[in-house]
Amino acid sequence: MLGRLKQLIGKLYVIALMAYAIWFGYFIYPLIFAHGGHEEAAQHSISTDLKMPGALTAEEKALHKIRAEQKATETTDLGYVVLKEQYVKGHFHHIGMTVETDETNVCIKCHGAVPHNKAKTIRAFLNMHAFYIACETCHINTMAKPAQAPWTFRWYDKKTGQVVANPPALVSPDLEKYGNYGTKIAPGTQADNGTFRFINGEEERVFLERYLKTKDAMDSTEQARMKRVMHNKVSEKPLLCEDCHNMEKSYLPFAELGYPPRRIDRLENTAVVGMINKYRDFYLPRFFELHGEQSQTPARK
Amino acid sequence: MGKSYIKRHVVMLLSALLLCGTGTASAEDELDCLLCHKYRGLSRIDENGKFRLFYINEVIFKEGPHVRIKCADCHQDIKKIPHDPAKKVECTTECHLIEPSGQKNFSHKPVADLLAKSVHGKLDAEGKPKKDQQDYPGCKDCHEEPLYRPLSFFKGKSSGVSERGLARCQTCHRTGDFAESFYKHVTSRLRKMRDPKEIVGICAKCHGDKEFQQRHKLDDVVTSYKETYHYKALLFGSQETPDCTDCHVVKGEGVHFIESKKSPTAASNKKNIPTTCRTSECHEKAGEKLAGYQVHVTYDKDKYPLQHYMLVFFTWLTAGVLYFFLTLIFLELLRRLFPHYSFVKSPDDDRHSAG
Amino acid sequence: MAMPKYKKICERNGKRYFFRFSLHQRLQHVVVFTTVITLSLTGFPLKYHDKAWAEPLINFMGGINVAPVLHHIAGSILLGLFVYHTIYWIYLFYTRRVLPLKREGRLTLGNVGREFLNQPMIPNKKDFHDLIDMFKYLLYFTNRPPRYERMSWKEKFDYYAPYWGIPVLGPAGFILWWRDEFTHFLPGIVLNALYIMHTDEALLAALFIFFVHWYNVHYAPEKFPLGTVFITGYLSEDDMIHEHYAEYVKVMTEQGLQDEIKSQHH
Repeated sequence: MLGRLKQLIGKLYVIALMAYAIWFGYFIYPLIFAHGGHEEAAQHSISTDLKMPGALTAEEKALHKIRAEQKATETTDLGYVVLKEQYVKGHFHHIGMTVETDETNVCIKCHGAVPHNKAKTIRAFLNMHAFYIACETCHINTMAKPAQAPWTFRWYDKKTGQVVANPPALVSPDLEKYGNYGTKIAPGTQADNGTFRFINGEEERVFLERYLKTKDAMDSTEQARMKRVMHNKVSEKPLLCEDCHNMEKSYLPFAELGYPPRRIDRLENTAVVGMINKYRDFYLPRFFELHGEQSQTPARK
Repeated sequence: MGKSYIKRHVVMLLSALLLCGTGTASAEDELDCLLCHKYRGLSRIDENGKFRLFYINEVIFKEGPHVRIKCADCHQDIKKIPHDPAKKVECTTECHLIEPSGQKNFSHKPVADLLAKSVHGKLDAEGKPKKDQQDYPGCKDCHEEPLYRPLSFFKGKSSGVSERGLARCQTCHRTGDFAESFYKHVTSRLRKMRDPKEIVGICAKCHGDKEFQQRHKLDDVVTSYKETYHYKALLFGSQETPDCTDCHVVKGEGVHFIESKKSPTAASNKKNIPTTCRTSECHEKAGEKLAGYQVHVTYDKDKYPLQHYMLVFFTWLTAGVLYFFLTLIFLELLRRLFPHYSFVKSPDDDRHSAG
Repeated sequence: MAMPKYKKICERNGKRYFFRFSLHQRLQHVVVFTTVITLSLTGFPLKYHDKAWAEPLINFMGGINVAPVLHHIAGSILLGLFVYHTIYWIYLFYTRRVLPLKREGRLTLGNVGREFLNQPMIPNKKDFHDLIDMFKYLLYFTNRPPRYERMSWKEKFDYYAPYWGIPVLGPAGFILWWRDEFTHFLPGIVLNALYIMHTDEALLAALFIFFVHWYNVHYAPEKFPLGTVFITGYLSEDDMIHEHYAEYVKVMTEQGLQDEIKSQHH
């Protein structure tokens, strides 16, 4: 019995050695034949990334070139992914801070994480807000006055989509990350039994993913119908800057969300509100009318 | 005319009002640019689909020489916030800093002039634009925001600011951060402002690109350089072996003056190579024949026949020996796995295999 | 060239062990393997600098400022050993083979050459036949494994691999190390050639040692996990039968143990 077992182990060892010999042959091949750094030779061939059927227009080519450059370091979708990058090509100033990207928000699955581009003067600000505030926080379809919003607000984890505690970086100046908390504020409802549910929660995510998988099989009317349903909670016309940045009653409960008095003061009083008030340009209602083309600031007339 | 005149005045008035209102602006940041630009998400996708990030990392920014100038010194078109899309920064404009050695405003123009007459300049000797203009670099193609790399010399040498050394400066230079800033400036200049690995990466941006090499009929100098000990030592943290600029910058000139090896003054010109290699701190004591060493070997059959055939010989010797023995070992293991099988059974063999 | 002070067969716990290597030879082997391992660990991170393991390994070996120094030291020792070994070999050959010939008055070039070719480490016709026999055996054309003498062709290959490798690698490394001095009289392109010789031959040597040689002496099923002959200098009876059957029969007969000779099995 013992002898047989010993024999079996011996055979297994021989088989293992044979596998090792084959692996070794495979392992040494590049060591022998790829001399030095020759493996790196394939770098930087950007134009080879254009694998589209037919001839491309100049714009398509330019766009593909940009995408290819970005793809060298990332894999997923345009706009969304780029934020992951610590180094942006042609960016003079150092970024030096990696970011947590939102993996769960349903809106950015289609609209991207850098969605605002219409209002020339404030689009970057809006994208900056979108970095730590979920789209549906401001783009909410509500008849109620913002100050009496029926929602409660919570931070969610950008990776899991689950409710998390208020980010400690808000309170401690040492930890300050200027919006890069790995979390976002989103509206939700609190049931009587105390359970909290985000307006765009797990159910909505499943709905969207199913839609994205099947939409190519639908005709355009069907797609439009689905989109209408998906967007019934949100509104293209968002809340205004002053709905939060005002001295009386903010739409977002900053204190509840963990902002210390020092920061609330900056958000509701001096710095930001001052800027909004002093520049008519900053008034949000105008930007959809203007489509970012020209400014109708009274001061410029 | 009239419209813009009024506009400018309103803008100035509003800027003044804002400054009074916030009162948080630093000396470097009169418009309080960081009020918004400190946010990591400040960004947009531009008309060409290109991602633009407007974030400024204040902590890193303060580690470089530009901390002493105002944002608006470079971004001169921005006079108010919020502002229209900013224009590209022109590095050769004079900034408001007075150059300490004279009474003139500081500018990077001499650097641009030097670059223009080097092999990297956009115009040829007759002043006509060279072919493939897009391949000739501007400032930002090679430069990001510069950062100080101070050196401490107080009893031995290491990276960083020597507090004791600095304290001596501050005995007299007490105001502001003058002493620290100059300390960092001077000690950073005592070595390379940038890590040599970074320099190699910058040159490789273009010189490592296959299509670029074909357009300009250049060898793959990046890959060949990376096979030298010069690069490998840098890669593992040495600061002593040469990067691209150490061997290619014309002797006695600033780093922006690199010439084609055809130019008689070029550092890589055949008759200058002995001097280039034997510069002080490098192969100072080497024989003149060291210049015959080929740095950028591509193993091309026609250009580098010796290296090519040696490589072929050693490759096949190695492959031959190893795969022969590998096969042998594999067969031996197979024989151990199935010991009793045989094509021929002679009586003599049977006697032995019985054991 | 075994010295008489070693018993051909020694018995321990009822088992027979056969003499293979003297202490002097084993010590030389210790020097070889310590220096070769050091040279590999400090050299290959540079050759394969773009591999993920390169940087951690060179840092483990003391970083880019220390590892090359270790490399130079180990290389110098190995090169020194090579010179020593060669002189030692020539000395032994002279005192044991050439001097007796001289005493007998038969000192001709032909006789010295014949003596040289009879040395156990010199490849001979039997090695060639053994090689063919081995392939016959491995490909199942016979069930009789080759019967090796004191040194099998594999061991001779193992021996001549460094004997070719060190002269290729060592002086090349030495000149590259002292390039500034050598280029006063050597053309620079010689350095290019030496560089290829040094790194490519090193690859061959290392891959050979760490796979083929280690298989033969450590990984092989009956040896695993560690063949001990490089420590003790003696080989067990089973291994002796397996690897050096001809030598086994010869030694047993010499010692008057012909009745106890076991059959060759596999």
